[in-house]
Amino acid sequence: MAKKASFALAVLILLAAGYAVFTAHGWPRKAALFPLAIGAPLLVLALIEAIWAFKSNEAEGDPMPRGIALPWAWIVGFLALIALLGFPIAVAAFMLAYLKFAAKEDWIFSVVVTALVWGAFYGLFDAMLHLPFPAGWLLEWLGFAA
Amino acid sequence: MLEALWEGLLLVLQWKAFGFMLLGIGLGFWVGLLPGLGGATTLALMLPFIYTMQPVEAFAFLLGMHAVVATTGDITSVLFGLPGEATSAATVVDGYAMTKKGEAGRALGAALASSLVGAIIGAVALAAAIPIVRPLVLTFGSPELFMLAIVGLAFIASLSGEGTRGMLRGFLAGGFGLLLATIGQDPQSGTARFTFDSLYLMQGLDLVPVLVGIFAIPEIIDLFVRGSSIANIPPGKVAKGAWEGVKDTFRHFGLTIRCSLIGTFIGVMPGLGGSVAQWLAYGHAAQSAKTPEERKQFGQGDVRGVLGPGAANNSKEGGSLIPTVAFGVPGSTSMAILLGGFLLLGLVPGPDMLTKHIAVTYSMVWTIVLANIITVALCFLFLDRLAGITNVKGHRLIPIILVLVFIGSYTSNSHYGDLLVTLFFGAVGYLMVLAGWPRAPFVLGLVLGKIAENYLYISTARYEAAWLTRPVVLVLIVVAVLVIAYPFFQARSRG
Repeated sequence: MAKKASFALAVLILLAAGYAVFTAHGWPRKAALFPLAIGAPLLVLALIEAIWAFKSNEAEGDPMPRGIALPWAWIVGFLALIALLGFPIAVAAFMLAYLKFAAKEDWIFSVVVTALVWGAFYGLFDAMLHLPFPAGWLLEWLGFAA
Repeated sequence: MLEALWEGLLLVLQWKAFGFMLLGIGLGFWVGLLPGLGGATTLALMLPFIYTMQPVEAFAFLLGMHAVVATTGDITSVLFGLPGEATSAATVVDGYAMTKKGEAGRALGAALASSLVGAIIGAVALAAAIPIVRPLVLTFGSPELFMLAIVGLAFIASLSGEGTRGMLRGFLAGGFGLLLATIGQDPQSGTARFTFDSLYLMQGLDLVPVLVGIFAIPEIIDLFVRGSSIANIPPGKVAKGAWEGVKDTFRHFGLTIRCSLIGTFIGVMPGLGGSVAQWLAYGHAAQSAKTPEERKQFGQGDVRGVLGPGAANNSKEGGSLIPTVAFGVPGSTSMAILLGGFLLLGLVPGPDMLTKHIAVTYSMVWTIVLANIITVALCFLFLDRLAGITNVKGHRLIPIILVLVFIGSYTSNSHYGDLLVTLFFGAVGYLMVLAGWPRAPFVLGLVLGKIAENYLYISTARYEAAWLTRPVVLVLIVVAVLVIAYPFFQARSRG
């Protein structure tokens, strides 16, 4: 897995550096100097690493860690909830769902901890720091947003 | 100078700064105890909270938290044989062996007392270094500061990975960070660079969403995959014999001092970091054994094997603040994140921190000292209950950390783009962990990118190519070349 991950990173940097060098050519010298000075050597280094990773045999006995799809699904799911329902609802819904179904806690524990975390979130960020948390896209679309 | 030192103390003792320091200590205390939740990650997670703070309050909070992580990390190493922090792994060797022999209290007493001695020596070194490096830093202009940034990157890139391949990855990570720092409107010409016509990207990538993503997300995945395996040893009577451990610290006081100095020295060297300091100190402690029989005791539960790493772990903090504050060249991942904190507060490390903001710098010295005294006192008071604190299930922590991750990153611009940036860099960070790439050079590149570009621009605009011939610049070029060439020499001497 280390090999694949390293190859993926090298390709990501290769693409980024290639794009940087390609676009920076059209800019004024002042703006292009630094991206070119960094991008050009980075392009070469990334190519070396990509070839090195592609040719190496370190993949044997180094499997992908098991069960990593689920945590990523929770993370992306939480992000989607925030976008759709806004922070205040998403935080409560995510906390409760995670504690109940992923951590397998009982209902009382899940509800109490959710209430505590939500209270801390609301007290600190909304009441004290007055951060603007927009209503989610879904609520706006349904016309519930203030 | 003494006046500034006194002023620094008064600043930390103001009720607000002191309160934030206590809050930081509370967090650091817990994070240090819990294996699996790292000090650097927590530092990144707490960055969004400092926006509204004054510099002294912010550093009391961040540094108070960071200064105690290594201290309480030693407790987990001693009691459970798993390091609470990567930097307290060396304490496991003899500390856990002592626990198995029924000397947990003595080992803890020794770890805590040596940590305190180490922290104070590191802080004294920082205070003493300020008047020495000040005249040097004040002679530096943009060309020298630009080269220092390059030397810092070269150090971190070449030393954080092993061998040629490790160095290549270090440079790739550092270069990627530098390149990403150029995103946004160029301050000199006003050109929009790599913004993809997005208004969000015009002001550049914000540090907080990137740092939170790259450190916290991989840790969450790891915590999830490992499940609830933090520690499940019931709390017991461990306080017995702690006083004996404190006495051990003074019985071997010379060793404790020497290991503290090793830690400070390693801290000053950019790129080596705490993981190296603890093992060097352990090695030195083992060398201090006079006979082969005595040396065999190491690994079987010799108290000197606890004192050495305990002292070095904490003294390195004061040491690593010296290059961070004076030159803007952080010595470790945590210091690179702390450097991000400087920028969020509008402070530029370098000459200003040693003149205009000297009291803030001294307040950091005091924070390290006070935070450690308070922590060690608390540990001794609650020694018996400490084991119980580690009994938190990983699964209960994950949702709380995840809420902090997304709210924290969102607060930097109040824009959904922040969340996407966090997710993207979370994936990049996870790939880096899987591939064994170092993350510190990336952070340093991202943090130093804008400053380095600015220095480079001023240097070329003011001196054209002649800046390359300035004596200090030439010396720094030689240092950078030597640092880059070092792994090759190392490989050749091995081969």
